[in-house]
Amino acid sequence: MEIPPPAPSPAAPPSLIETAGLTKLYGDFPAVSDLSFSVRAGEVIGLVGPNGAGKTTTLRCLSGIIPPTRGSVRICGHTIEREPIEAKRNLAFFPDEPRLFDYLTVAQHLTFTARIYNVANYREIARGLLEELEIADKADKLPGELSRGMKQKLAIACGFLHSPRAIFFDEPLTGLDPLGIRRMKDSIVKRAAAGAAILISSHLLHLLEEICSHVLILKDGRKIIDGTMDEVRRNFSEVSAGANLEEIFFRATGENKGP
Amino acid sequence: MGRALLYYELHSRWNRLRARLQRLRQPKYLFGALAGGLYFYWYVFGMLARRSMPGAAPPMPGPEHQALLKSLGALVLLVVLLLMWIVPHARAALIFTEAEVAFLFPAPVERRTLINFKLLKSQSAIFLSALFMTLIGRWSGGNYLFRAVGWWGVLSIVNLHLLGSSFARTLLLDRGISNWRRRLLVLGGLGLVATGVFLWLRQSLPAPPDFSSEQSEAKALAAFTGYVGQILAARPLPWLLAPFRLAVAPLFAADAKQFCLALGPVLGLIALHYLWVIRSNVAFEEASVELSRKFAERVAAVRSGNWQARKPKKGKRPPFELRPAGWPAVAIFWKNLISAGQFFTGRAWFYLIWITVIAGAVLRSGEEPAGRGAILMILAVSLGVISIIYGPQILRHDFRQDLRVADILKMYPIAGWQVVLGEILAPAAILAGAQWLLLLLAFLVCPAPVNHASVTVALRIAIALSAALVLPCVDFIALLLPNAAALIFPAWVQLGKDTPRGFETMGQQLILMFGQIIVLMLALLPAALAGGAAGFIAWFLFGKVVAAAVVPGALAAALVLAAEAAVGVHLLGKAFEHFDWSEGSPE
Repeated sequence: MEIPPPAPSPAAPPSLIETAGLTKLYGDFPAVSDLSFSVRAGEVIGLVGPNGAGKTTTLRCLSGIIPPTRGSVRICGHTIEREPIEAKRNLAFFPDEPRLFDYLTVAQHLTFTARIYNVANYREIARGLLEELEIADKADKLPGELSRGMKQKLAIACGFLHSPRAIFFDEPLTGLDPLGIRRMKDSIVKRAAAGAAILISSHLLHLLEEICSHVLILKDGRKIIDGTMDEVRRNFSEVSAGANLEEIFFRATGENKGP
Repeated sequence: MGRALLYYELHSRWNRLRARLQRLRQPKYLFGALAGGLYFYWYVFGMLARRSMPGAAPPMPGPEHQALLKSLGALVLLVVLLLMWIVPHARAALIFTEAEVAFLFPAPVERRTLINFKLLKSQSAIFLSALFMTLIGRWSGGNYLFRAVGWWGVLSIVNLHLLGSSFARTLLLDRGISNWRRRLLVLGGLGLVATGVFLWLRQSLPAPPDFSSEQSEAKALAAFTGYVGQILAARPLPWLLAPFRLAVAPLFAADAKQFCLALGPVLGLIALHYLWVIRSNVAFEEASVELSRKFAERVAAVRSGNWQARKPKKGKRPPFELRPAGWPAVAIFWKNLISAGQFFTGRAWFYLIWITVIAGAVLRSGEEPAGRGAILMILAVSLGVISIIYGPQILRHDFRQDLRVADILKMYPIAGWQVVLGEILAPAAILAGAQWLLLLLAFLVCPAPVNHASVTVALRIAIALSAALVLPCVDFIALLLPNAAALIFPAWVQLGKDTPRGFETMGQQLILMFGQIIVLMLALLPAALAGGAAGFIAWFLFGKVVAAAVVPGALAAALVLAAEAAVGVHLLGKAFEHFDWSEGSPE
């Protein structure tokens, strides 16, 4: 399915992440079915759903890690199937576990990433990121010498080095201490304010509620609903006007909230 | 509780076996199992069949040699057990899986039960090791069953002694006796005993014969072994070695009666060791948690292709400065060189070249340099040839290491062919560098021809240059093949931590290795033809001088190989772009 070109609108910011009819099959099993949505510059979308809903698979398809079985993905106007290099230059994906090279130091990770993304002035950007993330004193350390939180900070520094405009987070808040969670939330909001389109998958609904402008609920690989928080609330008229994301989630997915 | 552990162990093994049988429904495992099974059959049952043929069974060594071997075996066992009291420094620890630690340590399980559980589990490894040792020593004759049981006894004693000594070490540490103090005590005691034995032996033993006066090497060897036998038979050594001789006795049993008589004492030794271990009330849990974590990491690393099986402890100096602009493939090359280790820096190669040059110059001087040079040259050339086949299996700083982070590689804005090129360059460069060193050594030590006037210095230089030109291209092609296998048949190559093991995996690896050799031969054929044709033309044009034909021939061959490599990189790049590492594993 081809994505129609976005309608010109002087008021609305451009769509930086667009997908139409995205489907991913593992054998006969549909992990994601016919998923379509878009994320505009400055928007933060919370991707929520029960375990096995297809959140991680969606993020991996969107970031070009795995090929979709059907459908189309466009990042900053570049179709990821046809122009993967241009599309990937504009995106960053942060998996749930920081994926680092055991044998490269913190500084070497940044040097390597700079060459991969051709970031000419990376030294200044890297210095700023390391200081912002408070790991400037760990430049000569290997990942094995870092705590999980620090590893995550290094992964974030590498991901932000090329100033991506489309950013995907898979469970970014899990395993962080309260200060780490606060910093991560600030960082996400700051990037969105700077014009990035952000998609976050997480089970921490109350935290998503604080930073997301939009929400997309998945179940069994299918989209249940997406839109702003208010739009989603309106769609579930039974839920009260002040209902939180948790209540909407249980209502939308039909999951039993339990005792 | 013991029943629960038995239940866990039996069901784990049964489920593992069932999973392996179930996956045989997939052709890749079925063919692997068939190949692995055939190989095993050929190795074990074929050997048994050959042994059953009249006159095929190797003879048992004579009684004199038997006695000598038994004494030597006892001596080796004594040394192994002594080392357990000298070398280790850590507190007692048993290796459990991480799941076992999580379930069993907080559970109301007695320490003794955990030890029994571990001892029971270790038996499967001991059985397999005993089988392996029996197979290795199959040419030395004797009964297979006696051998296997004999090895089981020896290995069980070693295993129990290792555990018991670790408990004793922990007890000593708890009582304030440090590792160094313990070592000094053991070595001091050992020194006293050794001095006493030496003084005793000096009185009772005749002076050693003059081995160099023997007419042949065989006679000198016989005289030497005879003297060693005399030493080991002279008092007080038989008394000292008596318990160790008992432990190894079943290995040397000539018939069933001897075997049965020898087995009793071994079982007694095992029982004594078991009582020692089980009655040692030593806390091993804390050290075991740490050891189990390290072991799990090591297993995961080995299974994912990191044969060093350890994480680097400190950052390594980069091989060169990586600038932020330029081909991204160079970044991957740079990264993989760092991964290969400190040894592969420019400085290290510089020193190696100088060492080779100096060694070559030294070897060319002195007495009989020609004979020594010829041997070294043959050795260097043989190593170079062997490295073409085994080098790509050993150097795995490429996709076989990096497909663990395939998701990260796939995310990079790089064309597939650049990723492939970057991945293969590091092992190719290391392999070519090592081969160039061997080539340099072979060239330097190559003796001047005496009877072959046609082997001129010019020809030798031409051959060395040609080899230096062709080898990197051959290496690159040879490395393309396992990397292609990793991308096209990821399930057949050791990649992720869940890589299956067993017969079928062994068979898969055999099939892959044979396939790679065949494909390498096919890839070399056009290059050989082109090289031959170009060499012939050059020979004809340049006055039929062989030296003048070698380099053009090599150049043509290298060009064909480079073209093949380029096509291979392009195709593999496409394969990488379509590589779906998540296939079959929904998340």
